[in-house]
Amino acid sequence: MNKIFSKSWMIAVYVFLYMPIITLVVFSFNDSQLVTVWSHASIRWYHVLVHDRELISAVALSLRIAFLSALLSVFFGTFTAFALNRYKRFRGRTLLSSMASTPLVMPDVIVGLSLLLMLVSMQQWWGFPERGLLTILLGHALLGTAYATVVVTSRLREMDGKLDEAAMDLGCQPFQVFKLVTLPLLAPALVSAFLLTFTLSFDDVVLSSFLSGPGYSTLPMVVFSRARLGLNPTINAVATVTITVVSIAVIVSSFYQSRAERKRKLEVAQAYSDSNQ
Amino acid sequence: MATAPKAKAVREDLLRVEGLTKIYDGAVKAVDNISLTVTTGEIFALLGGSGCGKSTLLRMLAGFETPTQGKIYLAGEDITHLPPYKRPINMMFQSYALFPHLSVWENIAFGLKRDGMPKNDINDRVESLLGLVQLTKLAKRKPHQLSGGQQQRVALARSLAKRPQLLLLDEPLGALDKKLRESTQLELVNIIEEVGVTCVLVTHDQEEAMTMASRIAVMSEGSFMQVGSPDEVYEMPNSRHVADFIGNVNIFDGVVEVDEPDHVTVRCEECVHYVGHGISGNTGMSVSVALRPEKILLSKNKPQGEFNKGKPQGEFNWCEGEVIEIVYFGAHTTYHLKLASGLVIKAQELNSTRDLSCGLTWGDRAYAHWSDLAMVVLTQ
Ligand SMILES: Nc1ncnc2c1ncn2[C@@H]1O[C@H](COP(=O)(O)OP(=O)(O)O)[C@@H](O)[C@H]1O
Ligand SMILES: [Mg+2]
Repeated sequence: MNKIFSKSWMIAVYVFLYMPIITLVVFSFNDSQLVTVWSHASIRWYHVLVHDRELISAVALSLRIAFLSALLSVFFGTFTAFALNRYKRFRGRTLLSSMASTPLVMPDVIVGLSLLLMLVSMQQWWGFPERGLLTILLGHALLGTAYATVVVTSRLREMDGKLDEAAMDLGCQPFQVFKLVTLPLLAPALVSAFLLTFTLSFDDVVLSSFLSGPGYSTLPMVVFSRARLGLNPTINAVATVTITVVSIAVIVSSFYQSRAERKRKLEVAQAYSDSNQ
Repeated sequence: MATAPKAKAVREDLLRVEGLTKIYDGAVKAVDNISLTVTTGEIFALLGGSGCGKSTLLRMLAGFETPTQGKIYLAGEDITHLPPYKRPINMMFQSYALFPHLSVWENIAFGLKRDGMPKNDINDRVESLLGLVQLTKLAKRKPHQLSGGQQQRVALARSLAKRPQLLLLDEPLGALDKKLRESTQLELVNIIEEVGVTCVLVTHDQEEAMTMASRIAVMSEGSFMQVGSPDEVYEMPNSRHVADFIGNVNIFDGVVEVDEPDHVTVRCEECVHYVGHGISGNTGMSVSVALRPEKILLSKNKPQGEFNKGKPQGEFNWCEGEVIEIVYFGAHTTYHLKLASGLVIKAQELNSTRDLSCGLTWGDRAYAHWSDLAMVVLTQ
């Protein structure tokens, strides 16, 4: 009885989570102009999508911003994580560590608004920076740095500090220690921080809306504004494309991860049976 | 148990430490004014309980900690403020600290590459080290593909690769299980002696220190309690602390009754100890008598000894008690004897025949006796 209940509960949750996405995908192949009425299957909206200049340029802008802001976030996040991890005691450490994670909990609207106010007054005084790609990038990098700091810090924390000492003991100057030992070991964390901040930037609508200027609309902004004017199945098509790309990336990466993990376990077992002979 | 130090024609001081002190955070005195010298070719062990400052001392030698006070000289040169990457010293870390992203081969070659050694020389050196630690077949493996014992040997090979003048070993066998430890101890010593490198070794295991080291420093609370060869610190401990820390010991408290150049007697509550050598003390002084369990013989019969005009005859050092515990170890058995004063002493009897030779059982009255040269009189 209990089992049946928990099973049906689970199914309900999954339906709740995935039904909208499935509907969206199905209706992207609908021929009708109306998003809610099914006529017959076609790829009409994909044709429209390919010729929709506004959407295409929005995708290009979003990709550019996401890529650059992910790079910046990982770069600054890594340095912040290092400072926090390496130097246990310095003036303002607590301040830095809490400031680094504030954007995680601060509502996006507040962050966006305060950045906008800052940019407006900067523009009044210096006439710089013009709102557009650069300002969106700045906002996304700010948020992304907070996330990247968290990811890299947790990896650094579980890394054996003795490895740095071993490298130094064997003749590495501090910079070489970083290059030859720390960085290679940190690489997986850097990759996942990059992916995280990339997607964060790619689907952000709040910060972008505050920080963009005329002629700079990211994909989520375009989708959002069109949705308010009345839904158009092109949006379904663009969403389906995005979902497909993301799913493929997730599936491939998790497949590789689980294979590497299995291989590793096998090798460890092998090592122990070898040494017991 | 102890390996005799190898006699070397020329013995010179390689490492000299003067008044080394380390205070953490202005409060914790981890190492307190230690001076020591280590001669070339020696294996020197720092032995002490957890938190006594062994690792801190070793880390100062490696250059990972800056001394609060004092100097470190290596081959006459002041290296106190040299960074670790410039010291001709290598360390084998407690949990090995092998680089997980590098293969066995690359781990061993790591330090050589930093020195810019030509490729061919690196190859030769790494191959010979792999042979030395018997890991040639596993050269391509990553550390996580090795068992504990194999990792330990990689760590050793890596720390020997640069032919350091001084090798530091932090609990080198601490991560291995007991059985493997015992066989590895001698193997490790053999490799070290084959290479001929001078070693400072940190351990909390007294057996390990005795087996491996030519000299032992017993540490407590940041200072050296005693420095000497394994048999010196075992047979002639200079304090209760050292006697207690190294092996098992029975301690009797008493006062010096007769103090002659060739013998003394110490009156304790339990018995009178006749000690067959002089001590640096005087009559009436409070002392402790330390007696190792393996030096005590047990019997059911009262020993027939006496002092004849101050001269001892027969089995004169003895006491009587009740057997309250028998612990069988296979090779020997330890009997716990409760004396009239309430003191419990341990006596260790060799099981030289298959039936327990002295035939004692729980609750029996038994007599313990020992020779006049079995004990050590401790004045502190
Ligand atoms: N980095 C440190 N900061 C503050 N105190 C330390 C540090 N390292 C060690 N200590 C303290 O110094 C003392 C000696 O430590 P350690 O040398 O590690 O002892 P052992 O290796 O003999 O167990 C301990 O009381 C320990 O708490
Ligand atoms: Mg230690």
